[in-house]
Amino acid sequence: MRISRSFAGVAAALLVMLAIAPAAHAPASAQGKTITLSMLAGYKEDVLRANLPEFEKKTGIKVVVDAAPFGDLYKKQLLSLSTGGRYDVLFMDEPWIPPLSEFLLPLNERMKTLDTADFIPTTVASGAFQGTQYAVPVDPNVQLLVYRKDLFEQKGLKPPATWDELLADAKALHDPAKQQYGIAITASSDIQTALYMLLAMWSYGAELVDGGKGSLNSPAGKKGGEVFLELLKSTPPNVKSYNFADVNKAIQLGQAAMAIQWASGAKPMEDKQRSSVAGKLGYALVPKAVRQTPMRGVWTIGIAKNSANQEAAWQFATWLSGREFGQAAVTFPSATSAIHSPRFSVLKDPATKAALPYADTLLASLQITKERPRLREYADIQENLRVTAGKLTAGELTLEAALREIDAGTNRILGK
Amino acid sequence: MRPSRLRATLTGVALAPILAWTLFPIYWITTASFKTELALYAKPPQWLFSPMLDNYTRVLTNIPFFQYLRNSLIVAIGTTLGSLVLGTLAGYGFARFHFRGSEAVRFLVLVTRMAPRMVLVVPYYLVMQRLGLLDTYTGLLVAYVSFALPFSIWLLIGFFIDVPLDVEEAGMIDGCSRLGVLWRIVIPIAAPGLVVAAIFAFLVSWNEFLFALILSGVEAKTLPVVIAGLNTDAGPLYGEMSAAAVMVMLPNIVMTLALQRYLVRGLSLGAVKG
Amino acid sequence: MAAGRAGRWFLLPGLMFLFAIDLIPLAYSGWVSFYNWWLIRPRDIRFVGLANYARFADDPEFTRAVVVTTVFTVGAVLVEFLAGLALALLFAQPFKFLRPIRVLLLLPLFVVPVVGATMWRVIFHPELGVLNYYLGVVGLSPVPWLSDPRMALVSITIVDAWRTIPFMFLVMYAGLEVLPAELFEAAAVDGASAWQSFRHITVPLLTYIMLLAILIRGMDAFREFDIIFVLTGGGPGTATQTMQMLNYRAFGLGHMGEANAIGIVTLIIVAGLCFILMRAVLRRPRVASP
Repeated sequence: MRISRSFAGVAAALLVMLAIAPAAHAPASAQGKTITLSMLAGYKEDVLRANLPEFEKKTGIKVVVDAAPFGDLYKKQLLSLSTGGRYDVLFMDEPWIPPLSEFLLPLNERMKTLDTADFIPTTVASGAFQGTQYAVPVDPNVQLLVYRKDLFEQKGLKPPATWDELLADAKALHDPAKQQYGIAITASSDIQTALYMLLAMWSYGAELVDGGKGSLNSPAGKKGGEVFLELLKSTPPNVKSYNFADVNKAIQLGQAAMAIQWASGAKPMEDKQRSSVAGKLGYALVPKAVRQTPMRGVWTIGIAKNSANQEAAWQFATWLSGREFGQAAVTFPSATSAIHSPRFSVLKDPATKAALPYADTLLASLQITKERPRLREYADIQENLRVTAGKLTAGELTLEAALREIDAGTNRILGK
Repeated sequence: MRPSRLRATLTGVALAPILAWTLFPIYWITTASFKTELALYAKPPQWLFSPMLDNYTRVLTNIPFFQYLRNSLIVAIGTTLGSLVLGTLAGYGFARFHFRGSEAVRFLVLVTRMAPRMVLVVPYYLVMQRLGLLDTYTGLLVAYVSFALPFSIWLLIGFFIDVPLDVEEAGMIDGCSRLGVLWRIVIPIAAPGLVVAAIFAFLVSWNEFLFALILSGVEAKTLPVVIAGLNTDAGPLYGEMSAAAVMVMLPNIVMTLALQRYLVRGLSLGAVKG
Repeated sequence: MAAGRAGRWFLLPGLMFLFAIDLIPLAYSGWVSFYNWWLIRPRDIRFVGLANYARFADDPEFTRAVVVTTVFTVGAVLVEFLAGLALALLFAQPFKFLRPIRVLLLLPLFVVPVVGATMWRVIFHPELGVLNYYLGVVGLSPVPWLSDPRMALVSITIVDAWRTIPFMFLVMYAGLEVLPAELFEAAAVDGASAWQSFRHITVPLLTYIMLLAILIRGMDAFREFDIIFVLTGGGPGTATQTMQMLNYRAFGLGHMGEANAIGIVTLIIVAGLCFILMRAVLRRPRVASP
């Protein structure tokens, strides 16, 4: 029958393909060492891959890059490390270091061989936990205030320095009839909402965790929360569905006059293919109240404790956090975003300032950052914060109830 | 009984909005792959525009796309073959051979699909780690066939039951073995069912993300993981994701076009008459 | 009997494979659900019996998730089944112009779910999206597709339906295609109307396939994750937070016992619903051997 012959033929061809397919992979290089890197997929991976041949040529070490998407990288690293997995080096976001510290190689001694004076001190702290250094900073990120220079000029306003000024400016620039909104932040159940709220509360002096207990429910926390909710009145009407990308869109498409956004979102705002306001943006430190607390988020490189290639791994970590790679990364022509550098020398370099219009603000912000609590349980605490902030903005909870719920959750998590 | 022109027109009218709704997002994704992000969000929306290939070039140069495409193809075809073979055998077994507790066993087959797949990730990961199957085609194949198999079995049971017994009896009287009857008589009659099972298995494998993420990383990485990687920490790359999605759609379309002529009635008529 | 023994050989390969690959890991996960296992503390694994399950009993977030998941599943499956059946019936007519359109209808199945959902987010964008733009052109006010709690549930159903109606269509269309044409011809000769044909020939013969389509879709809708995660992330608030989101969260934080407990509860609920549905609809399967 027609069917059987053609199916048989196809099946045979495929079996042959399957049989030879494994053989088609080249074996790992026999000379020199090979290390496996757990990396973040996307533009950071692109920058790395572009510069990797140089590293491999210089040291003879081959780097196998296992890249995972942003939302899943932690999961993959945790699963691998906790079951005796195969990574030698890991590219980690700083909040992951306390929980993963169990599986990471302490680097205190090795750090001394690095030119640590060139690192912005807060970025070095991002790789430490309970006095031990577990990772070296590679790509710092921090919250910035972005604003439309042209709109501010039009109205004769200065970029806001305090939260009160921010509220006033946002209100002044808020004109829904013309689809012009004061500021773009999120009010969804996305993590950014919680981080905006936390930034506001921090600015008024509140702490998420203090003395091992949840302490957000305080007069300072309440004031910060009220300011945050007040700010939502000057945002686009549907921020309840916004996420990180939508904040960017609001600026890029000229809808919002201001935004509080991570530095990693800044370069796309200056990309002419994505943004109609490229070149019209100004950058400033996040507003202050009682104190100025831009939130820090540094990507670091660490070594697995059970790595069989610790020396090679350290060489890689040195190179990745080094000045050469840092400079190349910052000026890399990525269509997406930029890897920033934790080094003074790189951020002050003229080539960097040409590539990143916000380099000065980035440098200034990085020197006064505030870190999220360095606890193993922080991921759980942040999840609780995220859900509760989402409920607050959705109207499921009042501010008082939300603050109580956040602290209750924190205490429950820490009490375990 | 020839349906009238009126029926044809009414059918067309009923289909038009459904087609529009089904195809609009596809059109949007396809055009997005040829637009800049600014153009994607342009007001008024741009239906016609001059296309650019930047997104495609970026995807094809930044990512070893064809390597991942090959991985996805190998795993998907393997999954399809595996679930067709095992599914046909088991489906026929359930359809023709009744034994005490066979209904319970059939239900148990379906139970494996009732738990959220995340629940299976850790045991799969641990076992494959021990067996050295992480980041291999075999590992992924084993997992994906187990996802596609329950539905394939149940589907084929339904189609095999509908094959008239006398046709099979005639074949066996003519000296065919059980297997021969299955291959030569039953399968052609139940062809539409096999087509659906094949398409389903292919899609399950082709679109699978979670297990591809956890069980592969470098060598056997498949397209869904690559596409998820375009959802960066600085936001989704709409243009590149669309370009990748369009390229990923094409093998599926080719496969369906190839298989769809078996999706017709007509293969059954000859058998029943004979 | 020869038939019985031969049957074993047909069934063994598939069943052995499935039970080894699926049931054993499932049992393992069930066993893990009785422990407190936090991945970041691999040496601190404690047996806690039913504690992980007990926690759900007085957790309003969990109960809410069960409700949201059930509402979504029932709504989605209903819409998708009816639409898929209607399409299958439309296409079962022997019109030439329908042949090439079949593949067009299947296209949503070929779009990677994450990309489909991301593009729908773009379409649904309240201020910048296509839908609200045209609504504005016609003079209607913009719809808060993803920012209103109730609308968000509708929106994710729309996207899920867009993605899955092709599948329901495909399954039931194939089922219709193998129905012997002579039955319909004989009924027409006897003067039966289209509705009578449908009710007395099509429905009984297609029951198994329809039931299977509903079961499979129900199981998948209950466990749906990707689309909801991209579209709303569980929000606004907890309006679209399904059990799968809770599972994902627990898993992502490394709480294996808790995650597996949620998984097992999902399994029990789904198995229960499927069992009831099957008992209600399916009579004794017409199994026979020549």
